[in-house]
Amino acid sequence: MSDLVDRVHTFRQSNVWIYSTMLVSACLSLLASFVLSVDAIALAKDPHANLSCNINSRISCGTVGVSWQAHLFGFPNAFLGLLAEPVVITIAVACLAKVRFPRGFMLAAQIVYTLGVIFAYWLFFQALFGIGALCPWCLLVTLSTTLVFASLTHINLRDNNLFLPPRAHEAGKAALRMGIDIMIVTLWLGAAIALVFWKYGATVFG
Amino acid sequence: MAQQKKPRTLSGATTNKAPKISGAEAATQRELLRQAREREERERKVRRTVTFGTLGVVVIGLVVLLIAVVVPALSKKAAAAGSYGLTVGADSAPVTVDIYQDFICPYCGQFDRAQSADLKSLVDAGSVKVVFHVMNFLDSSSNGTKYSTRAADAFVTVAKQQPSAALAFDTALYTDQPAEGSDGLTDAQIADRARSAGVSDSVIATFANQPNLDFVTKSNQAAFDEGIQSTPTVKINGTVFKGDLYTAGAFKTAIQAAK
Repeated sequence: MSDLVDRVHTFRQSNVWIYSTMLVSACLSLLASFVLSVDAIALAKDPHANLSCNINSRISCGTVGVSWQAHLFGFPNAFLGLLAEPVVITIAVACLAKVRFPRGFMLAAQIVYTLGVIFAYWLFFQALFGIGALCPWCLLVTLSTTLVFASLTHINLRDNNLFLPPRAHEAGKAALRMGIDIMIVTLWLGAAIALVFWKYGATVFG
Repeated sequence: MAQQKKPRTLSGATTNKAPKISGAEAATQRELLRQAREREERERKVRRTVTFGTLGVVVIGLVVLLIAVVVPALSKKAAAAGSYGLTVGADSAPVTVDIYQDFICPYCGQFDRAQSADLKSLVDAGSVKVVFHVMNFLDSSSNGTKYSTRAADAFVTVAKQQPSAALAFDTALYTDQPAEGSDGLTDAQIADRARSAGVSDSVIATFANQPNLDFVTKSNQAAFDEGIQSTPTVKINGTVFKGDLYTAGAFKTAIQAAK
């Protein structure tokens, strides 16, 4: 059993697994951004595109789509996903083909994506507590962004693309070997899911 | 997949030293190797604890979720079977109009403001009976005051106790309708609108107890179970009306054609 745990952990550290996770998550995120962009355009054309209060897809009357939070920078947020995710997909595919990018490049990717994750979670909390409406595609963005961030950080910590001092780098690598990162990601996502259920409970099963 | 034969570049990176073997250096090298092995063993222990700890937390979380959310939701679903329609108008009326609505849903308000006059005249003439299906799925859109539930509760009371005033009360709730995302009307304002719609004081007095909370929740669930996807959903003799709900005319024509 513990042998299996070791094997799983070894595989989890492999480039194939990390970059595949990144690739699949980035594709999902791109898909969700695309759907949300199409929605946003339909809403922009006609704010009353959907003349009813939908129970499941946009729980309340298009509130998420037309809220100010959905256009924080003056255009639909989903456009950011359309811009950023193809870059991640390119990185993941290139790395699967054994390309190694300069450390500075990977650091830049990390910085930009970190901002993206912060923004995704800000939106998540706004949707939960501010707008008070759930949107399945937005939740998919939250989930897949988290996974891309986790795999990108994993790589960059392991290969020290973050320019950490040697001792911090060693400590980071040890943490990765011991699976601390996967614990953090699992508990984090678990907490997010629990939050959704705590706030919405049975409605999710409507 | 886990069987991959790949050189591990992750651990033991610190043990490669230049192979210049003297007795003392061999000893240090052995010592370093021993330390590396100890470290690896230590890490493996932590890894095991972390893995099974995380798995444990996830399993506990799933069980809690199952008990706290899924089971009540499913039992609610089972209990919701039955009819929660509230009929207004003459039973003998040849046409039945079903209205699925949530009192804070802005489009339900638009629908009502456009069609209530036509509906009232048709009901008064005895040619239509309206079956109201109250819903409260937009409860989270009134700043925690659960306006959808409070308004629906009062409406159910009126529809049961004084059905002759129900249509007017429905219209009164939608006239100057509170916006989605606002606090909704206060209980006192709901009572005022009931009074203006001709509901008797004795009926209004029972609003305070909110006697229909269970009914409203089940009515909402029953509508979900019927496959209602959005509000307002309006049916004429059981068929969803797909025409223009928000301008007077087409709806009335469709009802008259259904006779």
